[in-house]
Amino acid sequence: MKIFFSMLLLFSLSFASDATIEVIKKVDSLPTIAVEDASTSYDESFKMKFFKTLIADLNVLSILNVDRYYRVNDFDASNVVVENKDFNYVLRYKLFQGDGGSLNVQMIVLQDNKQVFGKNYKVSNTNIHVFVSHAMAYDINEFMGESSVEWMKKKVIFSRIIAPKKSEIVISDYTLAYTHVIVSGGFNIFPKWANQAQSGFYYTSFDSGKPTLMYVDIKTGSRKNIISSDGMMVCSDVSDDAKTLLLTMAPDGQPDVYSFNVDTKKSQRLTTYKGIDVNGQFMENNKIAFVSERMGYPNIFSANRNGSGVEQLVYYGNSNSSCSANGEYVVYKARESSSAYTSNTFNLHLISTKTDSIRRLTASGVNEFPRFSKDGDAVIYIKNYQAQSSIGIIRLNHNRNFLFPLNSGRIQSMDW
Amino acid sequence: MKNVILSGVVATLLVFSGCADKEPVVDNSDLNKQAVQEVAQTASVADTSSMMSEEMIRAALEKELATVYFAFDKYDIVGENKDKVSNDASVLSSKASAYAIKLEGNCDEWGSDEYNIALGLKRADAVKSALVAEGVSESRISMVSYGESNPTCTDKTKDCWAQNRRVDFKLLP
Repeated sequence: MKIFFSMLLLFSLSFASDATIEVIKKVDSLPTIAVEDASTSYDESFKMKFFKTLIADLNVLSILNVDRYYRVNDFDASNVVVENKDFNYVLRYKLFQGDGGSLNVQMIVLQDNKQVFGKNYKVSNTNIHVFVSHAMAYDINEFMGESSVEWMKKKVIFSRIIAPKKSEIVISDYTLAYTHVIVSGGFNIFPKWANQAQSGFYYTSFDSGKPTLMYVDIKTGSRKNIISSDGMMVCSDVSDDAKTLLLTMAPDGQPDVYSFNVDTKKSQRLTTYKGIDVNGQFMENNKIAFVSERMGYPNIFSANRNGSGVEQLVYYGNSNSSCSANGEYVVYKARESSSAYTSNTFNLHLISTKTDSIRRLTASGVNEFPRFSKDGDAVIYIKNYQAQSSIGIIRLNHNRNFLFPLNSGRIQSMDW
Repeated sequence: MKNVILSGVVATLLVFSGCADKEPVVDNSDLNKQAVQEVAQTASVADTSSMMSEEMIRAALEKELATVYFAFDKYDIVGENKDKVSNDASVLSSKASAYAIKLEGNCDEWGSDEYNIALGLKRADAVKSALVAEGVSESRISMVSYGESNPTCTDKTKDCWAQNRRVDFKLLP
């Protein structure tokens, strides 16, 4: 019996470690949590907005069965409200306004009417309340002892088209609920975080007439030219140590993947196919993934870091024109139909370089801009379906997919 | 004048403090510090009357250059578009021979971000190769791609998408 149990455990672990295999977890078996609002400031509209944001964040954690009903209680009440008495946990919070309009939040977690966790938060104003909610959910996740959801506190940077050849670069939280325009005026696209600390970013500027890679230091606001190329210039990926970039350049009208050393400013051409090679992504084992149409249609390939040893990575789909890589995993966008005359369906798929299995991550609509979180735990993407745009979060190891309404205009590119 | 405004208030985004019950932390973020940099390109003073006439001539010549259109997901020049490029080459080698040429590649909305820019560029490159074959000097030609970011038509129709898969000509002094 012990042997059987051990084997079962091993089987489960090996399944859980492969993200291309769907792991079905019963929501009913998750611990339950209810939320009580004990706020002493702010109007009902803001209180409800905060509550809904927090409920959404707690759901995204995927470790709790979250009650959706709004309940009110005193912060110091010794008992939870009667409707919540059967829940495993009750999260109680109090919003109150501080000096200078700051938003203060006190949070406690109760189990059997006893406090088992508590933390306080403060931000300068209510406009950035979503970050408090994200931090509360992050801390609940830590308290529950689950694997980190550091990505929940990371920022998203994206470019959006506001008119032909006019764009803005915007920084937001992971749900795109809070947005802040950081580059406006002109045509500036393909923003990419310059390091894991997100203290700077690269983007492509067309303002000089020649596509130019710029770097912006977020804290000082200063920016500098990095490199330019006729025809095309995109920073596709940044290495974990932030010292090497994968660029797509086209000095002779020929789009190819290049590596670029940030310190020496020297670039090396990695692909030499006469057609389109773009979207270089760092992978594990000194490999890169990239998109090429060398087989007559766009598809995903891998190569060594010096460009040698090109191999086809994906054997499914008619047109796989963008990808994001993390370690052994690649998520890519596949066109499910091939028509110039009707709307097309694009779905996201996940593969591992270590197995042959493919996992389809989305089922309908146009799903694009997939980007892994740095730890590979989640994929963020944009979904357009029946005139609705949403931002999606896929929890790979929990097999859950969350959509948030998107009102940010037409997105051109995105990084997380 | 093009202004690029960088507002460095991203520090505001995540600068809030979370702390244990007994350790309330005062918000010490630099929320009010906004680093704003403006880069302005100052135009030099010149005789605008002569510049206008030169610009008008250039604009008239650009209208004589026919836009080249492409099939879905393709960058080869086919059908009547070959004749268009031949006529364009004639104009560029005669009336417009004093100007540099900028080819702007464009796509419909059905590609992906980077791939679409590359597809637009390959379309521009195909037109460049055809022009060079017709005798236009390669050194006069530069290329840029706007991918799907410069549509002439924004309806969700097949005709509209076809109009956006194109290469435009711009003449530069």
